[in-house]
Amino acid sequence: MRQGRADEYAEFAAARAGHLYRSACLLTAGDTHLAEDLVQETLGRIYVRWGRVSRVDNPAGYAQTVLTRAFLAHQRRRSSTERATDAIPDRAASHGGPGDLPLRLTLLQALSGLPAKDRAVIVLRYWEDRSVEETADALNASSAAVRTRCTRALGRLRELLGEDLGEYAAS
Amino acid sequence: MPVEHDEEHFEGRLGHALHDAGDRFDADRAALVAGGLARGRRQRLRRRAAVVGGAAGIALVGVGGALLVPWGGAPTPRPADSSVAEQPSRTPSAVPLTGRELIATLEELLPEGKVSEQQARGTEGSMPSPYVHVVYDDGKGPGAVDVSLNRVEPGSEQARQAVDCPDKTLTPHDSCVSSRMPDGSLLMLFQGYEYPDRRVDTKRWTADLVTPSGQHVSVSEWNAAAEKGAPISRSEPPLSTAQLKELVTAQVWRKYVEFIPQETGKPTATAAPDPVEEASYGKVLDTLVPLLPKGAEVVERGEDYSYAVIDDGKGRSLVEIDVQHGMGDVADELFGDGSETLADGTKVTDRQDAGDKDVPGCVRWTVDTLRTDGFRVVVSAYNAPGPHAAPSRAKPALTVRQLREIALSPQWNKFR
Repeated sequence: MRQGRADEYAEFAAARAGHLYRSACLLTAGDTHLAEDLVQETLGRIYVRWGRVSRVDNPAGYAQTVLTRAFLAHQRRRSSTERATDAIPDRAASHGGPGDLPLRLTLLQALSGLPAKDRAVIVLRYWEDRSVEETADALNASSAAVRTRCTRALGRLRELLGEDLGEYAAS
Repeated sequence: MPVEHDEEHFEGRLGHALHDAGDRFDADRAALVAGGLARGRRQRLRRRAAVVGGAAGIALVGVGGALLVPWGGAPTPRPADSSVAEQPSRTPSAVPLTGRELIATLEELLPEGKVSEQQARGTEGSMPSPYVHVVYDDGKGPGAVDVSLNRVEPGSEQARQAVDCPDKTLTPHDSCVSSRMPDGSLLMLFQGYEYPDRRVDTKRWTADLVTPSGQHVSVSEWNAAAEKGAPISRSEPPLSTAQLKELVTAQVWRKYVEFIPQETGKPTATAAPDPVEEASYGKVLDTLVPLLPKGAEVVERGEDYSYAVIDDGKGRSLVEIDVQHGMGDVADELFGDGSETLADGTKVTDRQDAGDKDVPGCVRWTVDTLRTDGFRVVVSAYNAPGPHAAPSRAKPALTVRQLREIALSPQWNKFR
């Protein structure tokens, strides 16, 4: 890589790593190790393609898309051993139910109960503030499919978080 | 409509809640950036490393980040380091710590057992933090063991966090003890899980030591042959807490930390750019195509790395080509018995194998060449249109002889 480009890449990576990591933490529902792994994978892929990435309109958005796809690819690879759970993970039980936990943890647990693609839709739509069409592009899905997933995921989160979300968000 | 209004309200609150949750995750950004850079470089090197085959191939991946720039920085000839043991009096940081040295040290410190899949990264390249990984088997099943070395600012938040037991709610674990050693070092012995949510029950046990001068030694072990993605091979990781403590406190690691260059305050990624510019994929392919035999039509050109898919009318065949500098230090691994040395000193070898993607029926032929100045041209052809693709023909579209002619073509000299 040319020096100028290497510098550009380094600047980009340093500027985006924190945000990508936070996105990855939400995508992985708080698995920080996996999140680190995904961010490094994303930055690695961007490095290899930097010549072209640096010329796209929105390299930051491109990086986010790469991260989301890396996450989904990872989930697909492990899909035979892991399934989205229907219940809030056991962890919550030992703390007297979700109501006793900070919203942050309750939210992460609720996210972990969503199928991976639904989680990706939620993160892109409500954390990245992407439109349905942009989300669809990132996920290689149709807008209609994103809408369906989004409605389903919101319903599920509502069910899992219910009043909690209202109380904490209002405070 | 009240329901719709409510929906919007919920969406708004969800956005707030996500931001609240997301913003609390804080990472060591420099480490992420450095890790990303290393992976990017490794992605470029991965296939060549795999060509070497077996454990040697993995070791090569491990030190991969350093291969392009083995002398780490200035484009001056690399000091010979055929045996590090012969250089006991070197000044720390003057000569880099090598991956091989790290592997040898870890093997020596481990109790009796079988060690395999060694990978390591010394301080030769742009990566500042040395790292060594092995799979250790005491006879009761393999477990991955990693040691990483780092320097932290004494008394800093980073130093404290390295040895502070994590919150049990955020990182569920079975046991964690943080204590102060007689010499003032802080030690954390942690027994937890690779995935905090335990969706896979891989256990991760770690020992972290931070000395008063800021040397940070971190040892991790798993009850599986890999950190992630490998089945559980035993009920617990191979080393007991006492053995883990003995390993992490071994004095040699602290000595090795001194090889890590002092922080310059600049982000890692800009600290060590490639001094030798590698040939662009486009230029490599532009040179490759005229060297292909007549009748071989190029049906696809690589964008992410230098490959072409050709079709001679009998089916598609993937051709991979790499043109690299500074590969002299791995000559022994690449050119073993049976390799040939030409009159000008160029080493040539060929390999025939089944690729490295476990594709049934895959046939890959490779010719590897290394000029005396470390300039390497390696070209492979597959009997399939991609490394993961099912075979499309019995043999690759290029013969070993044709591959050899391509790899030895004087046309490549313009990249030297």
